[in-house]
Amino acid sequence: MTVFHFFNCAILTFGPHAVYYSATPLSEYDTIGTSVKAATVYLGTALVKLVCLATFLKVPENDSFDPYQELLKALIGFIDVAGLYFALTQLTHRNISQNHKFQAVGLGWAFADSVLHRLAPLWVRARGLEFTWEYILQGLEANANLVLTISLAALGSLMWLRKNKPRALVPIIYACAGILATMPSITSYLRRGLGWHLPKVVGFELFASLMMAFISWQLFSACQKPSA
Amino acid sequence: MAGSKGREGEMLESIYSVLALVFILVACVELGDAATVVDVYRLIQYDLAGVPFGSRLASLNHHAGSLPFAPGADLSRTVVIIPFREVNITFLRDYIMQRQPLGGLLLLLPQNISSESREEAEEGDRNNGKELIRSELAELEKLLVHVNIPYPVYFAFEDDKITAVLADVKTNDATGQPATATTGGYKLVVSTPEPKKLASPTITNIQGWLPGLKADGDVNQLPTIAIVASYDTFGAAPALSVGSDSNGSGVVALLEIARLFSLLYSNPKTRGRYNLLFGLTSGGPYNYNGTFKWLQSFDQRLRESIDYAICLNSIGSWDDELWIHVSKPPENAYIKQVFESFSSVAEELGVKIGLKHKKINVSNPRVAWEHEQFSKSRVTAVTLSELSVAPELLESTGGLSDSRHFVNGIAVSRSVKLVAESLARHIYGHQGKNIQIFADGSSLAVNPFYIQSWLDLMSQTPRVAPFLPKNDPFILALKKELADHTAEVNVQHEALDGIFTFYDLTKASLNIYQVASVTFDLLLLLVLGSYLIILFSFLVITTRGLDDLISLFRRPPSRKVKMA
Repeated sequence: MTVFHFFNCAILTFGPHAVYYSATPLSEYDTIGTSVKAATVYLGTALVKLVCLATFLKVPENDSFDPYQELLKALIGFIDVAGLYFALTQLTHRNISQNHKFQAVGLGWAFADSVLHRLAPLWVRARGLEFTWEYILQGLEANANLVLTISLAALGSLMWLRKNKPRALVPIIYACAGILATMPSITSYLRRGLGWHLPKVVGFELFASLMMAFISWQLFSACQKPSA
Repeated sequence: MAGSKGREGEMLESIYSVLALVFILVACVELGDAATVVDVYRLIQYDLAGVPFGSRLASLNHHAGSLPFAPGADLSRTVVIIPFREVNITFLRDYIMQRQPLGGLLLLLPQNISSESREEAEEGDRNNGKELIRSELAELEKLLVHVNIPYPVYFAFEDDKITAVLADVKTNDATGQPATATTGGYKLVVSTPEPKKLASPTITNIQGWLPGLKADGDVNQLPTIAIVASYDTFGAAPALSVGSDSNGSGVVALLEIARLFSLLYSNPKTRGRYNLLFGLTSGGPYNYNGTFKWLQSFDQRLRESIDYAICLNSIGSWDDELWIHVSKPPENAYIKQVFESFSSVAEELGVKIGLKHKKINVSNPRVAWEHEQFSKSRVTAVTLSELSVAPELLESTGGLSDSRHFVNGIAVSRSVKLVAESLARHIYGHQGKNIQIFADGSSLAVNPFYIQSWLDLMSQTPRVAPFLPKNDPFILALKKELADHTAEVNVQHEALDGIFTFYDLTKASLNIYQVASVTFDLLLLLVLGSYLIILFSFLVITTRGLDDLISLFRRPPSRKVKMA
């Protein structure tokens, strides 16, 4: 609905990434290089996922929830986790602390995800005359995705980069990481299996992302105590 | 060094040009499509001797509004949607005559007169309702065709989508706020180029010749009887002017008569001593211009050999009375003969036939009946019609009100039988004898299925002459059909006479967009701006501390002080 609306939806979708970068110490330590590298890894991961999806999945006839297909999609979704692992551990980063590394990687990852999935539909459809709530909801979804990705990156860095973790928390860490990794399958189940409408699904995503962020923050600070 | 730099420069330039191309391509991507797209048909636009009539504009890009108008509202940027049942002719006439400004007009026609509707014609109460609709449509058409309207006028058929849109618009209007750019609502967009004049429209006459039996040793020309019907129409919406009764019924009757007589004439034992000339003429609404040109093209001998001509005009929706219109006085011997043969057959069929005489006024260019063109060329002719009064210019020419539901095949069949029997009695010399050649149940019976299928075809083909190109499939179909029934078919292409000028663009696609107002956008911008600011402050506080946030707003210490 006109360029104004496109501009509004664009700042809703991509604004928080820029704000996050400039507001936190990430900008002070100039971690843009890390974010760019993480974005590139995301691109590669997306390509691999596409190929796997095209090879193994059938085209669905109707929009219902098919457990086997969803299971396959979830398995393929773990490629995402592998990509994050690669970005966190294998790439050479400048000398930045753990704290900032996962944030930068998560930020770059989420930004690439938003651009790839949401920029093209926004550009093509949101500039037309017809008004829909779709793109505002999509922007909110991008926000939730940012929080989720940063939480996942935090847990990922906990799992792979930190060597001394309190014994009791380890299973919780893995469980939370598992939930975060399968979040796309959960939302797809809600949308197709239970028939939730888009606003409800987006609301759930926002709520879940805030919850998981809080939990990851607690876990992270709990693991930081011994070394402090 | 210079070489490599040069190459680098070239590469950069090529990259820039590729980027520019990508940007241009991306910017040209089609803007999103509308939720609702409706087929609309434009009001006709024509000039009569230089005077403009009809709707003069085609493209539309305004907000939707509905009746009743809010008093004092500015409607010059509003398209008013009026369903047919709410049309008040006097109100509309006053509004147009007073030249009040309006962004556009969209009239919604009832679905049951559309050619796509498959409703079966039912008797009884339905008929009364249909007659009312028909007369109201005729009145609306008469108003719209004879005025000059400086804004676009479109017709559309009522369906669920547009009814929902109209209901929404009505509730919005009821709250007292007509839709404008700042309050949201619906926007109707028709994007078409400017309508252009149609250069040299053609009219096409098709004639079929069925020769009679010439006795050996007979050198004289056999007499000829002509049967003529005009096939083109004119109406308020040219894309909807199917003219089922005027004159689809006449064309179908002519084709059936041709079929019957071709059966008779195929066997030399039953071939009559008259030639039969079938003529499908165009240019009917325009003072039978096509018939005039067709007659001009006749050989002198042919013209003199024509005994009489029967013109068929609107014979599809009568109950028990038909009229024969003549321009020669009824006392004329030829006219008497023709009328008597018709009335004797009519009596047997239980049909009432009346004779109406209308003198030709040579100084008046108006030609109300097709037979008048024949009379001007000294050929005896009559018109058989259900209309009792001569129609005015551009009246009863098969417009909006003339759809398939208002014509019935039984009336056409009876007319065919009437004409065919009268002709046969004249040709075979059975005057006064009660012999039925085309008896029901015989091999020469009138075929109702033939009539039905051709009536259906006519009712789905808009036939306004300027919009029918020379080699339109419909004209070719008529030619082929006539060729099946007659020995020789000729097609004559002529240009329509100069006083009528037509403009193109008869059909378009209407996009209905639901738009949000500018205030909504501004509000959203405000909300998003504050959200981002709050997010920023939250992140700064949680990661760097409150002091940092406050220090952002404090001015950095001046250099002078530092130096000092």
